[in-house]
Amino acid sequence: MLTETMYQDYLACLIKGDRTRCAETVTSLLDRRVEIKTLYLELFQKSLYDVGLMWEANKISVAREHLATAITESLLSLIYPELFAKEEKTRSVVISCAVNEFHQVGGKIVADFCEIHGWDAYFLGANTPMEQLLGFIDEVRPDLIGLSLSVYFNLPRLKKEIRAIQSNFSRTDLMVGGQAFALGGEKMLSSVANINYVPGLDELEGILAHG
Amino acid sequence: MKERLLTSAQNLDKVSEAAGKEFSSRAGEMAAQCSRVIADRPDLEQLIGDRKNLDMAVDNNRNFARFMDAMFSDFNADVLVETVIWVFRTYRAHGFNTTYWAANLNIWADTLESELSPETFQAVSPYYKWLIVNIPLFVKLTDLPAEPGDGEAGHAH
Repeated sequence: MLTETMYQDYLACLIKGDRTRCAETVTSLLDRRVEIKTLYLELFQKSLYDVGLMWEANKISVAREHLATAITESLLSLIYPELFAKEEKTRSVVISCAVNEFHQVGGKIVADFCEIHGWDAYFLGANTPMEQLLGFIDEVRPDLIGLSLSVYFNLPRLKKEIRAIQSNFSRTDLMVGGQAFALGGEKMLSSVANINYVPGLDELEGILAHG
Repeated sequence: MKERLLTSAQNLDKVSEAAGKEFSSRAGEMAAQCSRVIADRPDLEQLIGDRKNLDMAVDNNRNFARFMDAMFSDFNADVLVETVIWVFRTYRAHGFNTTYWAANLNIWADTLESELSPETFQAVSPYYKWLIVNIPLFVKLTDLPAEPGDGEAGHAH
């Protein structure tokens, strides 16, 4: 139900900054009961990747790219009625971006996706200081912790964070994902034991179903 | 071409923990120094295409330092090659001339030699030499249209 024409129209509005028209597209798809995962993957994620490619090709400015990201973040809230319509949630997950990681939209989508699958999700946002993250985990004692990394050069900090989490909460499952691993950098995680690398929402779905 | 780059990158010697730590502790400062040197060059506009690209050049040095820091702590030839391809493709699209990399990497080589201990310089300099020697290959690769998998390293600006 999400046609190429609709997608291209949405993308054009996103770049133009036409938040209202973008919201109308999302609302209309929700009304037509399009699967939520389709919205995340084929509308939000795909359009953000395309916007990134347009910046890379010098077709749009950084300002427009940031505008598109901000609009997308605001559009995610249109799905919230679906998120909170779920029955009582018995499992919880803490999702955080690594230290010094300022790209948060991917982590936010993951947190929302966890909610849709019946998990109570705490999303801590960008650049969460490690001590604060450890303190929060200690407070809420989640069943699962997810760390998001968008930029590869933050990997040393992520690994430090993983070690700290594992030494303090050795029995809590830990998953890691993000665009930083798009070029195979996930091999680096193999030196750290007991981590689920999650390349996308399909794999996340599997973890959430069995978690 | 990419296979050649991957094979030669895989032959680079691992950087010791001590050298990696020294590099890491000086990386930010060295990036700032390299940016000051390139900004003062009389041919700056020829190198970066337009003076308004200077912020991007400064960003590049900052990110480059952090990226090499990550490489020295956990080397991955695939990530190195793919990321450099991404940088060449993206920066060229924004008007950077291919001569920028020779200029900038030579500034880095001089800065590393003057700022790091001889042992650390000896450990990390082969990576910069590898980048300098392979500039023509990266240029050729990014003369071609992007292939699936190219340029998905993600960016930070």
